[in-house]
Amino acid sequence: MITYLARRILWIIPVLFAVSIITFVLMHAVPGGPWDAEKRLPAGVQARLNAEYGLDKPLYEQYIQWAGAFVTGDLGPSYRSRDRRVNDIVADGIATTVQLGVMAFTLSVVVGIPLGIFAALGHNRWPDYLSTSVSIIGIATPSFVLAILLVVLFAVELGWFPTGGWKGPQYWVLPTVALAGFPIAVIARYTRASMLEVTRKDYIRTAQSKGLGNTSVVSRHMIRNALIPVVTILGPTLAFLVTGSFIIETIFSVPGIGRFYISAISTRDYSLLMAMTMLYAFAIAFLNVVVDVLYAYIDPRIRYS
Amino acid sequence: MSQKRLLALVGAVAIVASACGGTPASQAPASQAPGASVAPSTEPSAELADEQIIRWPLIQDPATIDPTMAQDSQSTAVLTSVQRGLVYIDKDLNLVPGLAESWDISPDAKTITFHLKDAQYSNGDPIVAADLVYSWKRLVDPRTAAPYSYVMAEVVGGQDLLDLAGAKPAATDAVVDAALEKFGVAAPDEKTFVVTLAFPATYFLSVATMWVTVPIQEKWITSEGATETGNYVASGPFTVESWDHNAQIVLKPNPNWYGEKPTLTEIQMPIFAELAEAQRAYEADEVDSVYPIPDEDIARIKDDPAFADQYSVIPTLGIAHYDYNNGVDPSGEGKLARCPDEKTCPTVNKDFRIALTQAIDKQAFIDATFSGIGTVANSFVMPGLPGYDETIDPYPFDLTAAKASMDKALASIGYASAADIPALKFGFNTGAGHEPRVAFLAEAWNQAFGLKTEQIGSEFSVFLTQRTAGEYDIARDAWGADYPHANNQLSGNFTCGGGNNNSQYCNPAFDALLLEAASEPDATKQADLYKQAGKILADDAADLPLLYRDFATVVKTWVDGEIVTPIDHNNPGDKFAETIKILKH
Repeated sequence: MITYLARRILWIIPVLFAVSIITFVLMHAVPGGPWDAEKRLPAGVQARLNAEYGLDKPLYEQYIQWAGAFVTGDLGPSYRSRDRRVNDIVADGIATTVQLGVMAFTLSVVVGIPLGIFAALGHNRWPDYLSTSVSIIGIATPSFVLAILLVVLFAVELGWFPTGGWKGPQYWVLPTVALAGFPIAVIARYTRASMLEVTRKDYIRTAQSKGLGNTSVVSRHMIRNALIPVVTILGPTLAFLVTGSFIIETIFSVPGIGRFYISAISTRDYSLLMAMTMLYAFAIAFLNVVVDVLYAYIDPRIRYS
Repeated sequence: MSQKRLLALVGAVAIVASACGGTPASQAPASQAPGASVAPSTEPSAELADEQIIRWPLIQDPATIDPTMAQDSQSTAVLTSVQRGLVYIDKDLNLVPGLAESWDISPDAKTITFHLKDAQYSNGDPIVAADLVYSWKRLVDPRTAAPYSYVMAEVVGGQDLLDLAGAKPAATDAVVDAALEKFGVAAPDEKTFVVTLAFPATYFLSVATMWVTVPIQEKWITSEGATETGNYVASGPFTVESWDHNAQIVLKPNPNWYGEKPTLTEIQMPIFAELAEAQRAYEADEVDSVYPIPDEDIARIKDDPAFADQYSVIPTLGIAHYDYNNGVDPSGEGKLARCPDEKTCPTVNKDFRIALTQAIDKQAFIDATFSGIGTVANSFVMPGLPGYDETIDPYPFDLTAAKASMDKALASIGYASAADIPALKFGFNTGAGHEPRVAFLAEAWNQAFGLKTEQIGSEFSVFLTQRTAGEYDIARDAWGADYPHANNQLSGNFTCGGGNNNSQYCNPAFDALLLEAASEPDATKQADLYKQAGKILADDAADLPLLYRDFATVVKTWVDGEIVTPIDHNNPGDKFAETIKILKH
């Protein structure tokens, strides 16, 4: 198990290396640069800045410079906020983004799984139709539509919650719900499908025929087995949620780092863009390992060696 | 939910969708702001609120609040309340004393001697002339690489320092230091600051109103985290209490401010990711103004009686115009490589440009694509600035004249009809509301001449790169005044090889007039020279001026005493936060 884990974790390194090369080359291939503005900077100033940030060097040298700093934990200077380091920008916002992501993840699991179970147990009856309708709406509604609906209804019209910001628990509610909408629907659908599959298994019939109570069959045999496929999608879902959502953080003006995924591209803030991409890649790769390990606990048949 | 709200919702959704296309929200500093007017003052009996707090939204975290480095409107929106220069403006854009009590101008207009007020920074230290020497040298120092370093070009030795910035190989410290020694600023005593100009640039006092020219204490700005919470040193009426990045900036009155104590006890600046979010926060009573109102909300707000006492339109020192490609290489010499002849680039032909100009009904354009907000522009210098000439209008909307001009152009270029011309490249940036404007113009030209255009929408940075390189025949453009003077409007935008010459235009007669104007000590004669220069530009149809920008805004009724100017930064009245009061509500 330890060897397996070590091997999997070591494999993250070449993955990150490949991601960094691809991102680095692509972002420099896009026309434009960090000093672009409607009012152009004087050519001399641009040249000076390029020299200061090493943008006048060949691309491979720039990459080596970036990678050298990266492995020591230095994410470089921000090109847009010239007196700040990317480390500071990430440090400022990451706690907020992770908090929002974890809250949304918790909500998705707490609502999504029971919703799926509820649907499966009432298969082809009203609980199923209700749950399925909710899920389909959740999957079909883009998060920004849901977010703006929530703002207009609960913040502007009813005044129950603030329209945006991040100053206390009342500020957390709308962004969490908006961010959880889609994963709730997805998790509910997976859970339902998985439950229905398990229901037809021999061991369930065995359990029922030997006289086990319904509650016991559902909780001890059906749910536990049905959750294995669900766990597969929980990893990427968690990675997606904790690395932030550009759209939700933008609409609710949440001071996290999610919004930098897009803004770093449009402002050509190269070092920030690299930091965001590496963070996201690491989160995905790492959480996939975690999911694989979790399998072993949920499903005793899976053993790593 | 009312139908209006629903419309607002649909609009907002569209905005967010387009925001995913990613457009930098930062605008050039003064691309805002309006013609001077004072908000209707309420009865003197109006009672003040117990809490004197104003909530002004910022859109995105300011890039910096280091005065030397700031360039976008979010940064300057903070700076204007916390820093003050030697000279300031009044509500009518007249120059008035700021930190300088008075100034003397030498008979040859080349030396300005500022006499400083007895004033202190927020940390209690006196504001001395040496801080101005430090600040101005820091601005022009090539090692600083400040975006607005160019405003120091008129000072003796300034141009040499600016030239050093692009030197290859990079200038050594010794060379830069030697050049700084010769830079024409001096502090003969603590309260006297002397600037020596290379030529009598009478507009230079306007430059001294800019945020980049404020005094800066060296020991403060070189300290660790100088602009972060708890460290800020202000020379203006307010100081920075806290900066919670991407969340909120809070300003408090500067206890050592030389002027009258502000009524406001706090300015809260919550930071939004997009303008649309600020608008929703306004409607939920979370902020006190929005400026400008997002395009997609204007139509709804304008006619809603609920907003009648909050809505107003403020003129700004900004212009929306479109560049014609005049075919000169960006260096200012020779032809643009992609435009060897008029057949390839018809916009190089003057009659062709005139025809395009005559085919546009500018008022209809404003009504259709700017919700009717804005004033028809026929020349580049804005109303209210010396050098503005309302009589300039060489090519008014006239389809018959336009067809005649086009026939003349076609004969010279060598096409039988405008329809034979390969589609003109018409560039703009996406996700910023320009699509209907570009479509309006393209359609007008198509209907008038059968002319085809290829409308090329690109992401902002890509668009800017292409525009600079002269890759388009026609391109969207805009300009906002950095300081209220014609020199700022014309030089750089249209001089041969000028830094912002997106029209690839070059006319030595125009350049000569601008040089002459810059050296003319007499203000009236100078304004006249700028008018002549503006006339050359218009006669050449160098670009297509469309409208002087006005901004629609909403301000809560309890905000009182604001002095609104055409160069406000981010909220109406933010040039004079010290005069604002909050009424009981």
